[in-house]
Amino acid sequence: MQNGKATTEKKTFSRETSVSIDIQSDPAIIWKLLTTAQEYPRWNPTVISIYGEIAKGNKIKLKSALDPKRVFKLQVKEMDDGKKLVWGDGMGTRVYALNGNGRGITNFAVSEKIGGLMFPLFASQIPSFDSSFEQFALALKKEAESIQSLSK
Amino acid sequence: MTLELFNNEFHVITGQLKSYLLRITASVPDAEDIVHDTYVKAASKLDGFRGESSLKTWIFTIASNIAKDNLRAQKRWVENVSDICREEAMSNPAFFGEAMHIRATSPHGAFEIREHITFCFTCISKSLPLEQQLCIFLKEVYEFKIGEIAVILNTTEAMVKYYLHTGRAKMIHIFDGRCSLISKEGICHQCSELNGIFNPEQKFQEELVKIEMARAAESADKETLLDLRMKIVQEIDPFESGASELQLHHLEHNRNVMEKYV
Repeated sequence: MQNGKATTEKKTFSRETSVSIDIQSDPAIIWKLLTTAQEYPRWNPTVISIYGEIAKGNKIKLKSALDPKRVFKLQVKEMDDGKKLVWGDGMGTRVYALNGNGRGITNFAVSEKIGGLMFPLFASQIPSFDSSFEQFALALKKEAESIQSLSK
Repeated sequence: MTLELFNNEFHVITGQLKSYLLRITASVPDAEDIVHDTYVKAASKLDGFRGESSLKTWIFTIASNIAKDNLRAQKRWVENVSDICREEAMSNPAFFGEAMHIRATSPHGAFEIREHITFCFTCISKSLPLEQQLCIFLKEVYEFKIGEIAVILNTTEAMVKYYLHTGRAKMIHIFDGRCSLISKEGICHQCSELNGIFNPEQKFQEELVKIEMARAAESADKETLLDLRMKIVQEIDPFESGASELQLHHLEHNRNVMEKYV
């Protein structure tokens, strides 16, 4: 799906939410937005704060609007410059991917898979990510396109 | 290009270059040193100038590289620089003694609100990440194009746009929360305080209406107010204006305070 509408696939031991959207922007701008921790709260309504530097192997602390009382301690597991960013903890992994078409449009996709053997016990307590993912993708699109459109 | 032609061109842009360097370093000696070093470096590499960019862009590139090397070793200032420096000034009688002497004796010792707005912009901009600060000055004050700034800072146009956008957003956020000239919630009244000290006979509100940014405060959007603020910065030469000596004295004070604070 490239229309900014999230989908969630539920299984017994896991749940995976994904969203994808086309952005009229240089992938470098989107990548910079995704990897600059302190800037998130300014453009992204789903993030209250991220502390730490988003760099491979680093640990970051994320406060999400979805659960503001909780601090998620995440590790940056993979960073493929301008293409892919992966972070997560013992319970889930989030993957951001960028694909430029070379004609000024970049497809942004994010997915998060949570799960494990104990997942069925608390699955009902975890809120849906759909709306949050859609907001994230739209906010990223708006911010990146706003930057891209700056006059020369 | 001959050395003579280069010297002529360098002379023409020296004023702009020096004011740019002052605004990013907040130091008169550093600005003057970098202008000198830029001249020496550019003159010695004149054979390498191929005209792929304008001479002005090439000179600003050399100057920016020297400045970046110096500035990377220094910590950035803080958003509430005005509050911290005000406290220091209040506890330092010598500061106001010197300032009043400049005010009374120097032909460049006037206190003008527009000059203080420019001074304040310089100080606040030093709280931005360096790339954002450089992009804002190069684009909004010295009118380089995005492609030229990419050359000067050895980066891509996409990154220049990113730094400009984020830098502007931060400056808007800071001034919106601090500057009482544009926001009723603004907590900084330093312009009116200093105007009361240096121009006790003057009516602040009457002076304020002469400033387009202040007049537009209630009707204009935040982006426009930042543009109007930067227009003031663009119009003032910090070395040649009627208030330059007083403001440079103030800037030197703030720099000394920040060097100890950060």
